[in-house]
Amino acid sequence: MKSKDCVAMILAGGQGSRLGALTKKMAKPAVPFGGKYRIIDFPLSNCVHSGIDTVGVLTQYQPLELNTYIGNGNPWDLNRNHGGVYVLPPYQSATAGEWYKGTANAIYQNLVFLEDFKPKNVLILSGDHIYKMNYAKMLKAHKKTEAAVTIAVMPVPWEEASRFGIMNVNEDGFITEFEEKPKEPKSNLASMGIYIFDYEKLKKYLTEDENDPNSSNDFGKNIIPAMLANGEKMISFSFDGYWKDVGTVQSLWEANMDLIDSPPKFELYDDKWMIYSRNITRPPHYVGADAEILSSTVGEGCFIEGEVRHSVIFEGVTIGKGSKITDSVIMPGAVIGENVTINKGIVGPSAVISAGAVLGSASESANKSFISGMCTNELVLVEGGAVISENNEIACGSMVEA
Amino acid sequence: MIDTMGIILASDEKIAPITDRRSISALPVAGSYRLIDFVLSNMANAGITNVGVATNSNYSSLMDHIKSGKPWDLDRKEAGLNILPPNMQKAKYGMLRGDIDMLEGIYGYISRSKQTYVILSLGTSLYNINFEDVMEKHVERQADITVIYKEMKELSDSELSRFTLIELDEDKRVNDIEIRPYYPKSSTAGLDVYVMERALLCSILDESIARGDHDLMKDAIIKKLSALRVFGYEYTNYTDKIDSLKSYYKNNMIFLDSKIRNELFSAENPVYTKTKDRAPTKYGSDSAVENSFISDGCVIEGTVINSVLSRGVKVAKGAVVKNSIIMQDSVIDEDVYIDHVIFDKEVYVTPGRKLLGQDSYPLAIEKGGKI
Repeated sequence: MKSKDCVAMILAGGQGSRLGALTKKMAKPAVPFGGKYRIIDFPLSNCVHSGIDTVGVLTQYQPLELNTYIGNGNPWDLNRNHGGVYVLPPYQSATAGEWYKGTANAIYQNLVFLEDFKPKNVLILSGDHIYKMNYAKMLKAHKKTEAAVTIAVMPVPWEEASRFGIMNVNEDGFITEFEEKPKEPKSNLASMGIYIFDYEKLKKYLTEDENDPNSSNDFGKNIIPAMLANGEKMISFSFDGYWKDVGTVQSLWEANMDLIDSPPKFELYDDKWMIYSRNITRPPHYVGADAEILSSTVGEGCFIEGEVRHSVIFEGVTIGKGSKITDSVIMPGAVIGENVTINKGIVGPSAVISAGAVLGSASESANKSFISGMCTNELVLVEGGAVISENNEIACGSMVEA
Repeated sequence: MIDTMGIILASDEKIAPITDRRSISALPVAGSYRLIDFVLSNMANAGITNVGVATNSNYSSLMDHIKSGKPWDLDRKEAGLNILPPNMQKAKYGMLRGDIDMLEGIYGYISRSKQTYVILSLGTSLYNINFEDVMEKHVERQADITVIYKEMKELSDSELSRFTLIELDEDKRVNDIEIRPYYPKSSTAGLDVYVMERALLCSILDESIARGDHDLMKDAIIKKLSALRVFGYEYTNYTDKIDSLKSYYKNNMIFLDSKIRNELFSAENPVYTKTKDRAPTKYGSDSAVENSFISDGCVIEGTVINSVLSRGVKVAKGAVVKNSIIMQDSVIDEDVYIDHVIFDKEVYVTPGRKLLGQDSYPLAIEKGGKI
């Protein structure tokens, strides 16, 4: 078979425990985002637009939702005869069989898959970042420099640098040092978790890493430091567009709000770089005579009779008369009754908020029994499928499970 | 049980200017759908896996919409969805004069198909029907032909005379059929959907072609009413046909009525269409929207009242859109005021313009028009 220039591998197995109740029943990459998408739509769409037609998606935690969502890859034009998208769960073989121990081990266990395509380069991606990026540019730079690995980096504010994996680079972009979450960062260039490896080098280091019983089999902790120690040619690739790790309840909420700010920090109305998603046909949304919708996005199949301000409303949501939704994210199929008030809420798929309920109440008498450390910045999170009873006043900072 | 194939006849009638570049079946309705989506989805939902769409002329828009048939799960190894272009030889000499001529062009396709029954529908009506039930009743009654109808007692004579009218006896057997009569004798209106065995259709076609007939109803079926067991099947939800600009306007506006909307978009019998990867619709900080039906990918910064918007429509600040139907990617610039208009795709209205139509006579602007 014809060999592939570049095959992408998306790490989508993590639990995403900092998303609290949102990832109780689905993996982080399957979490709804931006009014109609799932987080994994972003790396998948980026791959297709960058000319990468072979993608492995490594799943482990709660894979059902993600598997059914990806299906045969048709929504991303990734149903191909030679290549396409493949969901790669951990498997049992004649001699062994184990869970993915770390990001590096997950790729190691799928070297057989990669071998089939005889790729020259392998692009490693995370399934939990929101951004639009042309990997073809990065691949071109990688090929030009003949680096063993090219790592995408972006400048972050200095005060936040200690939360990231920081790359110290020389004036030619060569990576000289890598520090995971340094207390005193020497640079503000953060690794975006996007790597292009020369396939032979990748194979070599993964195999060596696997033979090291003390390794935690992680790209950031083990593979990159080992390559640095051996003096491999490692080059940074600077990215300056919008990029957001949506690993926490607050960052997920912020990234949604970034879409509806004026002007938006992240633009989805882009004909040249459309984000593809599995679209279910629904009728247009209906806006009632007394409804008011300001600075918001609304998906298909919604039925809106209340007031919506600065919020992201996914497809198939019902919002009853007299309700006021502000600074919130309402996920697919949620039903919001009449005279409901929601402030800074994230309402999970198909949750039901009964008439008169309040989410995000600052009042003394509010129900404080669901207050959770997950929900910083006064956010309120309601798990998908949960039912909030009539007139129940839920305090700010609560996480209500189903 | 289904064992049935579907044939949709894409009519060649004209409604200027919106069918200048497409057939009626390909007309955008309800924002993000095409008229043909309703019958196609009904067939697909009933488990039909062989659907032929016979075309006459102007079929590129229809082909572009249907493509492989994927949205209806009709991209199959065997049969699936097939667009059947007309017999060009006949079309060239202007000889495609009726549905028999269209069916003659696809005779080979019909006779090669493997299903026992056929549902034949003119692709100009709006309805959402359960074809599984229709087929069950057809077989149960041992009918030769089943005609689907609706009681339309509330319609005026002039409205009724747009339809094929049927007279039924107590057992729902069809006694008489009149095509668009000037003086209607009944208010039982046909939906232009017929069910019969494929073999019967083939034999009727053979006979009619040999006799030089053109019209399946007038020349063939009406003459056989006493010889064949022709029965009616009653449909009770909303239906109408699109045969004029006025009916096109009305049959989009009805989607603002939640009862009719729920009848046509039933959860049990969903309607599918080609989906597009547009972002969700975005509302600006000064938008005002009332009683409207709005598709994906619109950007609304002005006022929209009692209107139906297709995908990707832009309504700029200060603009007012009232009682209007706006097709895909049209742009209504700042401070424009429009009332009772139909915009085809990609119409652009420059700032400050005012366009007014009337309820009885909506103003229609052709595709790509700049004002």
